[in-house]
Amino acid sequence: MNRQIRQLAVGLMMCYVVLFATLNYWQVAQEQELNANVENTRAVRREFNKPRGDIVSADGVIAATSTPIPDPNAEFDRIREYPTGDLLSNVTGYFTLNFGSTQVERAYGDVLTGNTTEQQLRALGNILASDVDNSGSVELAVRHDLQQVAKFALGGRTGSVVVQDIETGAVRAMYSNPTYDPNTFVTLPFDEAREAIVDLQNAPGDPLLAGAYQQRFMPGSTFKVITTGIGIEAGVIDRTTQFVRESEWVPPQTTNPIQNYRGSTCGGDLPEVFRRSCNIPFAQTAISLGPDRMVAGVDAWGIGEELPIDLPGAAASTFGDTADLAQQLPLLGIRGFGQNDDQMVPLHMSMVAGTVANGGQMMTPYVVEATYDHDGRTLDRTQPEVWKTPISAPTAALLTEFMTGVTEGDRGTARSVQLADGQRFAAKTGTAELGLVGDPDRVHAWMIGFAPLEAPKYSIAVVLTDLTSTQADAATGGREAGPVVKTVLDYLLTGDGANADLSGG
Amino acid sequence: MTGMLEADLESTRLTRRDRRAVAPLAYRRRNAELTLIIMAAAITAVAYTLASLGSNAEIPPGIFGFVAFLLGLMLIAHFVVRRFATGADATLLPLAALLHGIGFVMITRLDDELASLQSLWSLLGVSVFCAVLIIIQRATDLARYRWLLFFAGASGLLLPLVPGLGANINGARIWVSLGPINFQPGEFAKIALAIFFAAFFAENRELIAAKTWKIGPFRLPEPRFVLPVLVAWGFAIVVMVGQRDLGSSLLFFTLFVVMVWVATERLGWLLLGVVLFAGAAYLSWSQFAHVQTRVDIWIDPWSDSLGRGYQIVQSLFGLADGGITGTGLGRGNPNQVPEAQNDFIFAAIGEEMGMIGGTAILMSYLLIVGAGFRTALRTDRTFEKLLAVGLTTIIGVQAFIIIGGVIKLVPLTGITLPFVSYGGSSLVSNYILLALLIRVSDSAARRLGEVPDEPTPGERWAAWQLRRQIRHDGKQGTGRQGGS
Repeated sequence: MNRQIRQLAVGLMMCYVVLFATLNYWQVAQEQELNANVENTRAVRREFNKPRGDIVSADGVIAATSTPIPDPNAEFDRIREYPTGDLLSNVTGYFTLNFGSTQVERAYGDVLTGNTTEQQLRALGNILASDVDNSGSVELAVRHDLQQVAKFALGGRTGSVVVQDIETGAVRAMYSNPTYDPNTFVTLPFDEAREAIVDLQNAPGDPLLAGAYQQRFMPGSTFKVITTGIGIEAGVIDRTTQFVRESEWVPPQTTNPIQNYRGSTCGGDLPEVFRRSCNIPFAQTAISLGPDRMVAGVDAWGIGEELPIDLPGAAASTFGDTADLAQQLPLLGIRGFGQNDDQMVPLHMSMVAGTVANGGQMMTPYVVEATYDHDGRTLDRTQPEVWKTPISAPTAALLTEFMTGVTEGDRGTARSVQLADGQRFAAKTGTAELGLVGDPDRVHAWMIGFAPLEAPKYSIAVVLTDLTSTQADAATGGREAGPVVKTVLDYLLTGDGANADLSGG
Repeated sequence: MTGMLEADLESTRLTRRDRRAVAPLAYRRRNAELTLIIMAAAITAVAYTLASLGSNAEIPPGIFGFVAFLLGLMLIAHFVVRRFATGADATLLPLAALLHGIGFVMITRLDDELASLQSLWSLLGVSVFCAVLIIIQRATDLARYRWLLFFAGASGLLLPLVPGLGANINGARIWVSLGPINFQPGEFAKIALAIFFAAFFAENRELIAAKTWKIGPFRLPEPRFVLPVLVAWGFAIVVMVGQRDLGSSLLFFTLFVVMVWVATERLGWLLLGVVLFAGAAYLSWSQFAHVQTRVDIWIDPWSDSLGRGYQIVQSLFGLADGGITGTGLGRGNPNQVPEAQNDFIFAAIGEEMGMIGGTAILMSYLLIVGAGFRTALRTDRTFEKLLAVGLTTIIGVQAFIIIGGVIKLVPLTGITLPFVSYGGSSLVSNYILLALLIRVSDSAARRLGEVPDEPTPGERWAAWQLRRQIRHDGKQGTGRQGGS
């Protein structure tokens, strides 16, 4: 029997060796793969239970905060709350256990939980202290008051408002409809939260995506700022260039004519065609430039590149497929005035306006002003950076003159929009005809601009995307988006927002 | 004859000092055991403190009470072993104490409310351990009650199937409810059956091995020796089908096959057992949806990772999150695995103590298995040998089945991890098992002369009665012969 007992002992030992090998397989060989599995929420869960700092607006309003749950038997130690509801959700994003995190919550998760190297080093001194809260906080460049004004100005219509500091590129407002309130799902149990998020994902207009920087829309005539800039830089057009007054023009390679907006007759010198927003002159400019110079030009404006904002998942504007443009000159012409496959991110259009006001320098946009450690010491303060320099200062000055014509000149498309207290501003309107099958009258109404004219401080882009109008004309963009721009700029320049104290936060 | 008996009895009445002098080896073993128990308690205390630091960043307020309680229990167990099983193996009790302690810490960390209940079970378990060692002082006495144990074990196994008594908990009908008390008789039945098998095979092993019954070209043992074998196989099937308890079924059958193989020294039995079980397993797989489910989620838990495969997938996530060194006690999320305090406690240990901690658990079981088989090799009594083999197989195979299930090596079957999992039935039955193993180990040491083989109180009492009878007889002068 002893022989059998020894064999049995060896057999059982082999079983345990196999157990040991399997344990190795899961805990060593497969470790990274399992940890990377999307369904593995353990890392998030660990983060979830850590103290997490606040996200505060530029004017000191708490946009995201963690509240401890007093019940010691609760599954989690604290819940994440968004006191500003849907107002800043496009900036703060959300932080959930099972469905990840977005925007600032995602990009600055390490700061908020105290996981950056610097915070870890600073915390070394009290590693043995019972207080393990090392969470940092994030101060936004975005102003809560301005978000409220932007939201009010949009009045529930689908669209976006972006306001930036011209000199720094700091985003002061970035509000879009439709949006969402993170509080409605971040605290829900798994199944209900999943349902809520799936509903939001399937809702029209993608509320979970920030319209202002994660979506793009046909820009219409606002794109003429870019085409004009490229044309002047290349020497193809200048202030004195005369365009024939006509209602139709047949470009090369086709017999189909290009028309001005709804077939109107339009022409004159460059300032006039710019302020009246004729289409044919800009199609001719784009075709004169030719595909190579036009494509190089839009590249110089950052079109085709993901916007360099300090948030994840930024969209890129696009000039459409440029492979065969030499054989498709009519398309090149149409894209020259912002139709066909042109798609611009609203934030990018604000940056375009800012570039004109900033002497040709396009600043890198940012929503986070500064980050702080647990004791309130500054970890990092965002330094303004130039992203692109698509035009020279003289070209920028010319464009400023043209854009001022839009608001002040004869038959300017934004002549109807006048700011309070006689504040002057420069702008460009756009009315993009989407030409959608089944929805032929759908237009995007745009207005971009900057103010005050004498010493530009803010750039703005407004787009309204749910307009349907059979009577749309070149002035529609200005008529529809103009009041939104006026409301926001009046508040900023002469209203309550003019003296906002931004030193808090 | 009677004179010698009296002389024997007088000469074996030893004082403690005498015993220490004649059995230095045994006492060195006991001192080693005491040291190891203190070490196990120290590890447990450190783990308890770390778990509290990890989750609340504070030293647990009840640390001294906790350590005093567990160490106290183990010291009582140790002194009972020292007095009543002086020659036993030194590692068995400390290893159990270590597993018990780590399990206790994990249960406390997983669910505060279960911890106080578990301390009650610990008290009960150690009390029963001591009682078994005190009451059963001769391992061979057990063999006398083999049929009683067989029927007790068999009815215990079937008890949960009785309407009104049995209760379905978590899909397995292995519970018996008697008023406020729930328990799993299967946990005790496995020990009763191990004793029965050991006694039955010790008695009949030659006859079973002889194969005197010819059917055509086959030579089989006599039917009356085969019958209990078939009955045991039938039990495994009943347990599997009636109680949906695949783990216990596998455990019973493995126990039985192993014992028949060791007893008869015929490999054929082992092969026959494997074939029979494979057949039964295949049949139940093809007939029962719940068995198919178990196999499906074993092969691919990822395809239904939020449903049926959730538990195993979460277990693997936990293990990976732990990695080699673990997340640290109190710093993981083992509660994400359903039943983490019970069948899946190994996943919780693997997550928070890492592969190092998991390997320590594996090593502990391997050492218990080693000590058990060493005991089986040291004793020269067939019954004791088979009993040690059976008890050791139960612990070793049970731990293998559940750990293997938790780490997706074998299909998951719900059984507890001996000494570690939460549960009264499990803890008490495992302490009984441990006491029996220690008893056999001591018994072997006595026959090897490492400990003076003193008569037990029961034997003293029998001898005293006998002597009185003889004296009485002598006075009467009727001269009846006593003893032989």
